[in-house]
Amino acid sequence: MALLLLLAAAAGAAVVLTRSPPRQVFAMAANGLILAVLFEILQAPDVALAEIVIGAVALPLMFLVILASSRMDRAPRRPDTER
Amino acid sequence: MNAEARSLIFLLACAGLVPAVVVLILHLPKFGAHALPYGDLINNSAPRERHVANAVSAVNFDYRAIDTLGEEFLLLGAVTGTVVLLRSKRGERADAPAGQVEGRPLRPRSDAVSGVTRLLAPVTALFGVNVALHGMTTPGGGFQGGVIIASAMVMVFLGEGYRSWRKSAPSVAFDATEGAGAALYALCGCASLLVGLPFLTNLLPLGTLRDVFSGGLMLIENAGVTLAVAGGFTVLFGEFLEETRVDCRSDDS
Repeated sequence: MALLLLLAAAAGAAVVLTRSPPRQVFAMAANGLILAVLFEILQAPDVALAEIVIGAVALPLMFLVILASSRMDRAPRRPDTER
Repeated sequence: MNAEARSLIFLLACAGLVPAVVVLILHLPKFGAHALPYGDLINNSAPRERHVANAVSAVNFDYRAIDTLGEEFLLLGAVTGTVVLLRSKRGERADAPAGQVEGRPLRPRSDAVSGVTRLLAPVTALFGVNVALHGMTTPGGGFQGGVIIASAMVMVFLGEGYRSWRKSAPSVAFDATEGAGAALYALCGCASLLVGLPFLTNLLPLGTLRDVFSGGLMLIENAGVTLAVAGGFTVLFGEFLEETRVDCRSDDS
């Protein structure tokens, strides 16, 4: 229990301290999984089930898609800004 | 603002907040020793009055069913808003190839990924249905089961790629699933109005405690939530995944 709380704190710190956005997404997913285990141990299995899917699938997926979409740079380029 | 001023403000805030947090943590009630009577009350009365072993489901679908109706339409509104916003820019064509980040090679999908997801996706979907069906007896229920089913659909995308995913998960089908689920929940409430009872009264026979089919009307509401959440999240994931396609909006207009 204390170990899990420490892990949750470490994972949360990792999310804040990671600088590269794609890695940050995975740190956030790991944090979500640790929180889910914590919910399960604190006798809230309903919340744990929802947290696993939302924290480890839905949220990372949205961030990854947004990162990919913004990297693709689809705005029509004018000739004078061509790199 | 320069870095030194920022860290100064940060340290000042820490000096104020950290002692307060420590004091708060020391004064937290012990785990399980909550002061409010509501939880114990529900735990005692839900098996007796509603024949349902999972008190959380009893609260969601019976004692506070009107709140769940609100959440249901909140989800419907949020998904509709996302779809309208994204599709109005992108159009509804589904034949664009995968987009590519400049300077990064587009590697074909490895057999290992395909194999694992082909194995796991059906099992995950089945597990989601199982969690949803047993909502009245074990932890879980419509919402949890629904999101697990939706994550199985994401696995299909991961393993099979965009084209087969779009074929196996046509957006229209999931739009309909979501709307039908929300409508089913609302109609459950209207059923009791027809016989002159308050909205969302549990009319159906309650069944026996710890049976899969216990809880009466809660079962149908649960099915409605499952459909709405599975459909809603699949549509939402789909709309976001569409954003990684090559842009084809100039052909649309």
